Amino acid sequence: MTVLSRRGFFLTCGGCALAASAGPLLPGRAFAGSTPRAYPARFWKKLEGKRIECGLCPKHCKVEDRERGFCGVRENRDGEYMTLVWGQPCAVHVDPIEKKPLFHFRPGSQAFSIATAGCNLECKCCQNWDISQSKPEDVDFQFMPPEEVVRGAKEYDACVTFTYSEPIVYLEYAIDTAKAAREAGVRATMVTGGSGEAEPMKEVLKYLDAVKVDLKGFTEDYYQRMCKGKLEPVLKTLEVIRKSGVWLELVHLCVPGQNDSESEIRTMCRWVKEHLGRDVPLHFTRFHPEYQMKNVPPTPNATLIRCREIGLSEGLRFVYTGNVPGLAGEDTTCPSCGKVVVARRGFELEGLHIKNGRCAFCGFTIPGVWS
Amino acid sequence: MVAPKTEAARTIVAPGKPRVVVVRTRKALVQGYDADRGALRSMLEAGLAALSGEKDASKAIARYVRPGERVGLKINGLAGRQAATHVELVDELSALLAKAGIEPRRQIAFDRFKRDFTASGFAAQARRDSYQCIGNDEAGHEEEVAQMPSSASRLSRVLTRQVDGVIDLPILKQHMLSGMTGALKNNFGCINNPNKMHLDKCDPYVAEVNAIPEIRDKQRLVVMDALRPVVENGPSYQPGAGEVANLLLFATDLVAVDTVGLGILEDLRKKRDLPSLDKAGLFPTYLLTASKLGLGVSSRAGIEVIELEV
Repeated sequence: MTVLSRRGFFLTCGGCALAASAGPLLPGRAFAGSTPRAYPARFWKKLEGKRIECGLCPKHCKVEDRERGFCGVRENRDGEYMTLVWGQPCAVHVDPIEKKPLFHFRPGSQAFSIATAGCNLECKCCQNWDISQSKPEDVDFQFMPPEEVVRGAKEYDACVTFTYSEPIVYLEYAIDTAKAAREAGVRATMVTGGSGEAEPMKEVLKYLDAVKVDLKGFTEDYYQRMCKGKLEPVLKTLEVIRKSGVWLELVHLCVPGQNDSESEIRTMCRWVKEHLGRDVPLHFTRFHPEYQMKNVPPTPNATLIRCREIGLSEGLRFVYTGNVPGLAGEDTTCPSCGKVVVARRGFELEGLHIKNGRCAFCGFTIPGVWS
Repeated sequence: MVAPKTEAARTIVAPGKPRVVVVRTRKALVQGYDADRGALRSMLEAGLAALSGEKDASKAIARYVRPGERVGLKINGLAGRQAATHVELVDELSALLAKAGIEPRRQIAFDRFKRDFTASGFAAQARRDSYQCIGNDEAGHEEEVAQMPSSASRLSRVLTRQVDGVIDLPILKQHMLSGMTGALKNNFGCINNPNKMHLDKCDPYVAEVNAIPEIRDKQRLVVMDALRPVVENGPSYQPGAGEVANLLLFATDLVAVDTVGLGILEDLRKKRDLPSLDKAGLFPTYLLTASKLGLGVSSRAGIEVIELEV
């Protein structure tokens, strides 16, 4: 294993979508056009003939022999379903945990972040479309089995994070890696759109320490029109995660004119409070013009501030703004004494005043994973 | 119908109804999945002549391609030899193209994966004096994204860089997700992400993909392989799903040829006491969407159908 200095490694980590820019970590790189290795997939059933039905996500793709499902990374081979991304990430980086964003999970720590190609949604505003909307052979990748991921995470004193694209489509890899991490005393987190079936999600949740879910909108119309997905399964996933006890945070990317109306935001905040509780952090983040929405301007700061105010007014206790360093709403404030207990600027941690999970000023318990 | 922008294609747009030529033979399939090359040659010559109005086959094909051009042959090889565009058909068309001044090295058969050529019997075409067979997985896709109203795709570099015009060679099949697959849907093999386009019976995705200028403007001719259409449980091959029909369809209007193909498919299904695609909830509505986008004619009454037997 070739080891970069930590600074050298960070220098390779300028963007989350720079596929395999951390290549020197390991041998076994493959360039776009290479044939990925196939491993038996889980969570599917046989249909008549050689047809199969995938059970990983609500799409339940019925897949012909030699075809792939919507995600593009699982293939029917002679009546057996195979994953083409197990152990073959196309992006490997070390990020601040705040970048995920997970604000109530070990602030200031690092996330050894991996992603494979593929996604079970197609969001018009996807910020990582060049890997999420690609098939495995369309991108550079490297062979990195679970134990190598865990070794990398330990080397950087980081948790393992499944992120950038959609971990649900590489769930077998995520499960095996999170399990290996747990056995090695390394934490594991996931960043997901939450469009998964309950049983596979429960399986991976056994080995996760935190999950951030992108709640992309709060109408079925938005999910169908903008993401080729559905809202209802995401809401079910959120409840599954909450019941599991794994730490949960939410992000809502505010796309101007699409999912940022006051009524939609208010309805969403009410649902979050009622079904997940007031202590689940909710981040309103700025959209950047990308993929199929290059003609839409970035989210105005005023929109993020307004959304945050709606969340707070609905009784949510931890509502943040994001993707705008320096904008009000990045800090964590103690709900009891009102003092800032975690000060942030962008992905930088500027102050931490939590001791043993409590506010250092008044002793109030601040929900999260702090140690 | 929107006039194609390329100069060569412009010459084939005729006023009035789009023409679809249906050529039938009683002897095309001789054994298993192998087709009789002589019969196919006769069908090609008759079909192209009827479509173009030229008597000589070389002159007929020259109406659609010009000497020295690079011609793409968009096959459908996904389902393997049992349900792919017949290699014998492509071979015979290639020979006609050569007579029209398109050297074999300037003819490129392409589809999504290299492996599909092997699976559908094109392995021998790797020889030096034959047309090339290239998978998009080998050639790659453009970095730039082609935007559509409902989606986005990266285009095959074979399409964008290696060919001047495309002859669409679909196989007629029932499709469990889209209703049918024919000329329009065959162009899913020109993009990187057809897996994202199978929601809602592929509507509006099939139509929108065909409206991408780089795809639309390179369409020259359709030769639809309906020798042995898959009439049920498609698009992959299931034992007993194919029905010998011994037909080839010729057109320049992709919507019109699919519309006529749909009728053939429905007739074959009726013979088997299968429900119509409409009753099965699988009417390919993308045909109507394609028509609305100006890609062609989806009304049978608006199509001139010429039926021949050789």
